Amino acid sequence: MTEIWQGFVKAIELIVSLDPEVMDVAWRSLRISAASTILASLICIPIGGLIHFRSFRGKRILINIIQTFYSFPTVAIGLLVFLMISRAGPLGFLGILFTPTAMILGQMVLITPILLGLTISALSGVDKAIRDTSISLGATEFQAIWAIIKEARYAVMAAVTMGFGRAISEVGCALMVGGNIRGFTRIMTTAIALETTRGELELAIALGIILISLALIINVALNIIQQRYT
Amino acid sequence: MFLLEVANLSRKYGKKEVLKGIDLRVERGEVVALIGPTGAGKTTILRLLDLLDPPTAGKIYFAGEDVTHSPRLKLETRRRMALVFQKPVVFKASVHDNIAYALKVRGHNRRDISAKVSSMLNTVDLADYRNRNAQTLSGGEAQRVALARAMITQPEMLLLDEPTANLDPLSTSMIENLIQRFNREYATTIIMATHDMAQGQRLAHRIAVLMNGELMQIGKPGEIFSRPRNMKVAEFVGVENIIKGTISSNDGGVVTVDVDGNTIEGISDYRAGEEVSVCVRPEDITLALSRTSSSARNSFPARIKLIASSGPLVRVELGCGFPLVVLLTRRSAEEMGLQIGKDVYASFKATAAHIIGEAGV
Amino acid sequence: MIWWRPKSEGEFQIVKEVHFWTTSKERERERERERERERKMKKIILLTVLALLLAMSLVAIGCPAPQVVPDEPAAVPLRAALERMRVATTTSLYDTGLWAHLEPMFEEEFGVELDILYAGTGIALEWGRRGDVHAIATHARAREEKFVAEGYGVERVVFAYNYFLIVGPADDPAGIKGLSPEEAFKRLMETGAGRFVSRGDDSGTHGKEKAIWREAGFDYEVVRDAEWYIEAGRGMGPTLVMASEEQAYTLADMGTFLAFKADLDLVPLVTEGDILLNVYSVIAICPERRPRTNIKMANNLIDFLTSPATQRLIGLYGVEEHGMALFTPAAGMDGK
Repeated sequence: MTEIWQGFVKAIELIVSLDPEVMDVAWRSLRISAASTILASLICIPIGGLIHFRSFRGKRILINIIQTFYSFPTVAIGLLVFLMISRAGPLGFLGILFTPTAMILGQMVLITPILLGLTISALSGVDKAIRDTSISLGATEFQAIWAIIKEARYAVMAAVTMGFGRAISEVGCALMVGGNIRGFTRIMTTAIALETTRGELELAIALGIILISLALIINVALNIIQQRYT
Repeated sequence: MFLLEVANLSRKYGKKEVLKGIDLRVERGEVVALIGPTGAGKTTILRLLDLLDPPTAGKIYFAGEDVTHSPRLKLETRRRMALVFQKPVVFKASVHDNIAYALKVRGHNRRDISAKVSSMLNTVDLADYRNRNAQTLSGGEAQRVALARAMITQPEMLLLDEPTANLDPLSTSMIENLIQRFNREYATTIIMATHDMAQGQRLAHRIAVLMNGELMQIGKPGEIFSRPRNMKVAEFVGVENIIKGTISSNDGGVVTVDVDGNTIEGISDYRAGEEVSVCVRPEDITLALSRTSSSARNSFPARIKLIASSGPLVRVELGCGFPLVVLLTRRSAEEMGLQIGKDVYASFKATAAHIIGEAGV
Repeated sequence: MIWWRPKSEGEFQIVKEVHFWTTSKERERERERERERERKMKKIILLTVLALLLAMSLVAIGCPAPQVVPDEPAAVPLRAALERMRVATTTSLYDTGLWAHLEPMFEEEFGVELDILYAGTGIALEWGRRGDVHAIATHARAREEKFVAEGYGVERVVFAYNYFLIVGPADDPAGIKGLSPEEAFKRLMETGAGRFVSRGDDSGTHGKEKAIWREAGFDYEVVRDAEWYIEAGRGMGPTLVMASEEQAYTLADMGTFLAFKADLDLVPLVTEGDILLNVYSVIAICPERRPRTNIKMANNLIDFLTSPATQRLIGLYGVEEHGMALFTPAAGMDGK
């Protein structure tokens, strides 16, 4: 018990004193997850809009498949991405394995189903009359999709927030494709995993506190967004 | 050239035929009211005309071009018209942004949009609401926003789907005024669906009666109301006096109809022996206290069964071998001292008796 | 109530004639302008999106500029543009902190960014085989020799050694203290007293453990089924922590044991025996087999590790903290 308490006190000290290593790792975590969330959103929101907007054969099944992938194990995604971008893999020529770029790619793959699925269900909540109205006012297909997305903006923002939450809190994929290289691909979760096994509990607890605070902030934000939305 | 021409337009939902072979031609600047009971297909026809849904069969020509299935012309044609829905739909945005939408999607610049929106806000009397969240507006205000949003591009054709169906009388009259104004000032061609016949009469140059997906009759409002083509139309447009009988003679277009022993004279081509209905508009019947030698060919002694106020008018129900409803001004009713049980004479001209065959035409 | 006000025919006619002549031509021009605007818009949107994606990717790739080590701030701005060299190392080397100790020196000397990936020898070799790293530092002689023979590695260069040891709870329930490694394992098997935590991760240490079981005359597949045998599937540090928690025996390398000793409730029991020798070597990935590898830097790393100065540092590493050296420098020695 004293060990935990001491670890906790030291962790707080690390945070308050803005320990360079803790800050560096936390900042990198934020940067990488933000990049992957923004990039994945830029891809997924329009595609989600298109899937919602168009009717085609197998749409229901596609949506079911997307939803199944919500909780796909992160290590499985990590393995998949590793095999793709390893030198011996089909995308090996890019030479991005064990770089932040690879981690961004991995997280993008990881959160794509959530972003797609939640975007689609967010858009389904929009009155069909909005779509008819924008089309009848002369909108093109993409302008109409954009109008629908704007109508559902709070729910879409909630989807993006969820995606970010999953991206920043996952460890399996980041470890496999990032390699947890100190000062380069070490992020909060991989650092916690490593420092715990090494017995460097203060650092692990400090990062854990930051990560939990972040999760808390995200959740509060999500709640506020949803309250405004409903 | 007609602005809009529709030929044999049909639409099925599954097996259900919602529209059956509609033919319609609308001139530029015209206001056409589509009237019909709920479920007649009014909304469907407007959606087809706005190219929101494709027809199952038939053609739509807009400004002379076949736009029915052309992907090339779809957007372009749609941008020359606008549709306002029954339920007021507003985007989750300010009143300004709502009205600006059609200009925005057409890529107008900011200054142009701002100027046009300001002028339109004045037109619809919502200038003070410019920055209000459109979702906080009342139904009538929201519908005005919807109308302004549709008219901001000055479309050649405006489609309105029961625009006042859920509104209070004041909002309704504001919307009606706007519709008339747009038609006059911008010469916008308007096709509006309504189940309110009075509204159709007030606003439309022509009325099209739609029932069960079929276009029953189209013509000037007077025509529809005084000469409904068949029983269904007559009933729907509210012809109150529909008297069934048999033609006993036809003398050069002047027919005598036998109604349970009484005879009514009218103008028709039906031959003797045919079963018909005689429609007489209540306001075309005059009442007198004694038998007068008026020019009216039809005159019946009758007893008053019921007297009821109806706005500025008085509605009198008579029995004279068959039921008859008469409308007259309150003053003339008072002058004659009408009361229930009193005996009077009811007269109408042969030309006021519109005769419909059983099958209709 | 039916009531109507028919519109005058004349009014309708006038409306028709006055307006449409002028407006329809204007409208045509307006539409043309709109189409033009729309084409432009589409182009702008497309370009913007592409530029955005590009910018983000650049940011992502450029974001490595690491600011961890506070005592070399001058190097920070330059580092983003530096060459990167990647070495996969066994966890027993990583967990002792030796790499963290040597890394800045190497980086400074060669102006390179050294990326150190830690993994069991098995995975390290696999990364090498796939060409994902430029050099590997491991401790499993037979597999290293096979790796070189298959053409993936250039040459096996020994740079340090130390000894494995069998550690366990102070009360030593199986009574193995002071025995030879093979005898000790026999004792464990025969008495079944106490438990044994194995790395179980295909690492060099795990390989060594299997070799000892073989020398002691047992089939490893039989051993691993025993009730007292636990496979951790983790690195050296975590395995030691686990053995301490379970009060079990385990095989560990000297370096990691000393580095973790303070936090462990375990004592060394078997420390002598030829089989316990633990040799660390470094191998550059063969550029003929994996053309994209950075052979120049890999050779620099080998030169660095075997240089007299570094060898001295390796020999001194840990003396201050643990009172004895974790590794013995071994440059120039051959396999055994």
